[in-house]
Amino acid sequence: MGKTISIIKMRKQENLIGYLFASPWLFGLIVLGFFPILMSFYFSFTNYNMVSAPKIIWFENYRILLTNDNLFWKSLGITLYHVVIAVPLGIFVGLFLAFLLNSKIKGISIYRTLFYLPNVVSVVAMTLLWMWLFQPNFGLINQLLKPLYDLFKMEPLGWYLDQDLSKLTLILMGLWTAGGSMVIYLAQMQDIPVTLYESADIDGASWFKKMIHITLPLMTPSIFFNFIMGLIGSFQVFTIAYIMTGGGPSRSTYYYAYYLFDKMMNDNAMGMASAMAWILLVIVLIVTVFALRLNKYVFYLGEDS
Amino acid sequence: MSELMLPKQKYRSRKKRARIVRLILHIVLLLCSLVFVFPFLWMLVTALKTPAELLRGIDVFFPAKPQWSNFIDAVQKIPFFMYLKNSLIIVVLVVFGTVMSATTAAYAFAKLRWKGRDKWFIVMLATMMLPIQVILIPTYVMYSWIGWLGTRLPMIVPAFFGGGAAFYIFLMRQFFKGIPKELTESAIIDGANHFQIFLKIMLPLSKPAIVTVALFTFMGTWNDYFGPLIFLSNPDHWTLALGLRAFQTQYGGQYNLMMAASILIMLPTLIIFFFAQKTFIEGIKFTGIKG
Amino acid sequence: MKKFLSILLLGLLSLALYGCNDDTPTDRIEITFWHMSPVGSASFSDTRRIITEFNQSQDVYFVKGTGFSFWDYWDKIAVAISSRTAPDIGLSTIDDVPIRAEAGVLYNLSELIEADPDGIEIDQLYDSQLSFATYDGHLYALPFTATTRVLYYNLDMFTAAGLSADDVPTTWSELHTVAKQLDIVQGSSIQQLGFDPTYGNATYHGYLWQAGLDFFDEDLNPTLNTQGHIDVLQWMIDFNSEFTRSQLTAFGDANTMLGINPFAGERVAMMIEVDSLYQTIKEAGADFNFGVTSIPVPDDGGIRVNWGSGFSVEMYDNNKNTPDKKAGAWEFLKYLMSKDTQKDLSETNGWIMAHQGAMLEVAEGDAIMTRILEEVAYARDKVYVPYAPSWHGNDWQSYYNDALTGKKTAAQALADARANYLQKKANWEATR
Repeated sequence: MGKTISIIKMRKQENLIGYLFASPWLFGLIVLGFFPILMSFYFSFTNYNMVSAPKIIWFENYRILLTNDNLFWKSLGITLYHVVIAVPLGIFVGLFLAFLLNSKIKGISIYRTLFYLPNVVSVVAMTLLWMWLFQPNFGLINQLLKPLYDLFKMEPLGWYLDQDLSKLTLILMGLWTAGGSMVIYLAQMQDIPVTLYESADIDGASWFKKMIHITLPLMTPSIFFNFIMGLIGSFQVFTIAYIMTGGGPSRSTYYYAYYLFDKMMNDNAMGMASAMAWILLVIVLIVTVFALRLNKYVFYLGEDS
Repeated sequence: MSELMLPKQKYRSRKKRARIVRLILHIVLLLCSLVFVFPFLWMLVTALKTPAELLRGIDVFFPAKPQWSNFIDAVQKIPFFMYLKNSLIIVVLVVFGTVMSATTAAYAFAKLRWKGRDKWFIVMLATMMLPIQVILIPTYVMYSWIGWLGTRLPMIVPAFFGGGAAFYIFLMRQFFKGIPKELTESAIIDGANHFQIFLKIMLPLSKPAIVTVALFTFMGTWNDYFGPLIFLSNPDHWTLALGLRAFQTQYGGQYNLMMAASILIMLPTLIIFFFAQKTFIEGIKFTGIKG
Repeated sequence: MKKFLSILLLGLLSLALYGCNDDTPTDRIEITFWHMSPVGSASFSDTRRIITEFNQSQDVYFVKGTGFSFWDYWDKIAVAISSRTAPDIGLSTIDDVPIRAEAGVLYNLSELIEADPDGIEIDQLYDSQLSFATYDGHLYALPFTATTRVLYYNLDMFTAAGLSADDVPTTWSELHTVAKQLDIVQGSSIQQLGFDPTYGNATYHGYLWQAGLDFFDEDLNPTLNTQGHIDVLQWMIDFNSEFTRSQLTAFGDANTMLGINPFAGERVAMMIEVDSLYQTIKEAGADFNFGVTSIPVPDDGGIRVNWGSGFSVEMYDNNKNTPDKKAGAWEFLKYLMSKDTQKDLSETNGWIMAHQGAMLEVAEGDAIMTRILEEVAYARDKVYVPYAPSWHGNDWQSYYNDALTGKKTAAQALADARANYLQKKANWEATR
């Protein structure tokens, strides 16, 4: 009897304790985050150029972006293309690497470290590598493919310099850093209770069956995590295009975040850039809220299914 | 007789098959590693080049005569050890702060029922959706108002309050949710409060996840040059990642030195990763737990 | 273990709170100066020496210099200016001085010059640059450096093709004839290219100026729609018509940030580039013979002009500077603009400085530098277009590329680009 009462009492306290546990983050958000976020919202209704005092122009930035700006829609389309391809591909490659590296063979630590290497090398080094591989004239890939090109009498692929291939090339380059999500998958794999595998072994389940019926379902929390994070991150893709293609050729890799950056740094239109940021936030928020519905397919060991 | 022999034969063939599988795995892993090691290799050969070889760009892969002295030059041209000290101060505190604020908030999101929890969760995700550039100037202005410019505080304090930790909060939440409810409930019955549950059950059981958070925070902070560039006004507070940028001159120039220094600052992260990933092998398994 | 960890954290925290103190003598007024020679860069020690020499020359002010990498400097100064925490004196770009002057973040230098007429040798500075630093009839910045574009030619390649320095072209048609003699093709791949109008730092607006045309009229309305505009673009497209565009792009692929350059890499015999390529080649110790000359001009009525720009040096008004600080910044500005310092800075950074007398002395005995310096007098900066500050860059790039790749005809690309400028103009006006 006493125990039941204490559980009920704790449930009542839970509301307070919940806020207490969240309080460092909540405090940070409200005290340190609130002002900058509010200011950027305010800037989106002004013609702020980062030098002069902003002047309020109400919805003018939003009107222009939505009704009289071709590049806005174009860059949004390019970004959507990137999201649709890069997110699933990233998840697939990350999972593949994690499965590959979740074995107990000799030297696995070395392999894991090597696979993670691209995540720690400098961006400049990565850029040089990509150029060295993909550069159409001197690049290794085209040198290797030369016999094929000769066989089919086709012109060598232009990779990031070809406007039809540039988006895919950048996505391909992005996969080099899949080691980051691999780490998350690996960490999750360690949380899978051995007892589950043991009882499956008793039932005589094959490796493949164990993967499909035990590992994969129990991996869904981190797959879900990487999916949501991939969505949020891919909508803001920028750096790789900035370094490799400058948004080109012919604006084929002119992502939304790139356009936003240009509005800010090249057009000195911070007000417009802020409006773009808030439009992006709304778009990503809607997509994410829909994506969060997938949560019901996620299998959390700690919850009733 | 034959019935007795069978298991042994089966065992043998299974062992043989396992060996073949392992061999194939090694080959696949080696091939993949090659692809992933390449950037590092490129850094190394670049670090060993002369300026004249750099000028020829991608035409030259191997330097004719490796310039090992580039490593010494790189360390001597910048106040390497001052930068190292600064990086360490910031990184250690940020990792500590982030792990603290991310795990507590994640516990609230994963295991506690409180009013507005799901709405706050969306807000947390939304904080990641606003491109950082548009809040840069107001953030800077705010720090100048509270007199933090010229100190290291802008780089450190936010971490203790979940600044930039949304990613990690979400990650920890996913892991905490995977910890069986029965564990917490039986602890409550034994009279434990939520702080005890958090410290004695949640944290020890999610070691791989915490290591992941610490690792990512470490990498992110260690390699971040943009935050220090904007928010550290005093050059005596500069970090390695920012200090290295000196080698990136307007027209290419010294990026052999840059690569040499990059390799030097990369090594600690690699060593840390090497040891961190070991927890993914020894990882905690809930063996004795019954549903 | 736990004890050790908490002691470590406490130690680090206290270190974090009490960093090293800066080394300004307490009895002096501190002047902050931002430049582009960070600790570790090749020009750092000389820049520090130049600042130290000023500090030792008097005992009222103390200049504290901070260097940022060229690639980071712009972000840093932009944030500082907009938050009114800019240094007392710093560098910026000269073509957009008016927007800062209009916003009131710069000190009016004309007033200071009037009060101290011998402080700056204004007559040693280029008039065209001074006009860019002028807003509402007053100077709000001073030209600090100058840039220019010239034609670089590889003499070894000329010799190998049976040509000499006398054959270096001066007109577009000569350029074409000579370039073709320098092409080397093996099978279907280019081994060496004589010249391509799209390589290096050549720009469409540069060629337009040479032909007496421009992107905008006096009221900053886009032009671009005349036959002359189409002809110049067509000339660029057709120059190497025997090769496909993707061949040409791939062969000339360059990356400034990484220092990859087709001329320095000895792949191209002639190329239009900025003056700093000379420094890059010299510093890297390249071993091929080369020279520089004026960019060839159109055959009929071609105008000798090249696109040049430069850094400005500015005194920032943060609305809270004391008169002492302003006076100190002015003293340091005078020092920076003096002939000796300008000479020193040029030798330190490899820059062409704005002070003409200083540069003549720097270039003495250096034939290539002397030749480059001659071209600075013919340099013209791009106009600042408030509705499209990046009209020559981002706004134009994709149309240019469409025309080059043949996705659009020259006429179509120009018409589309013009429509885009008009849209930008209308949108900009709507936000005023």
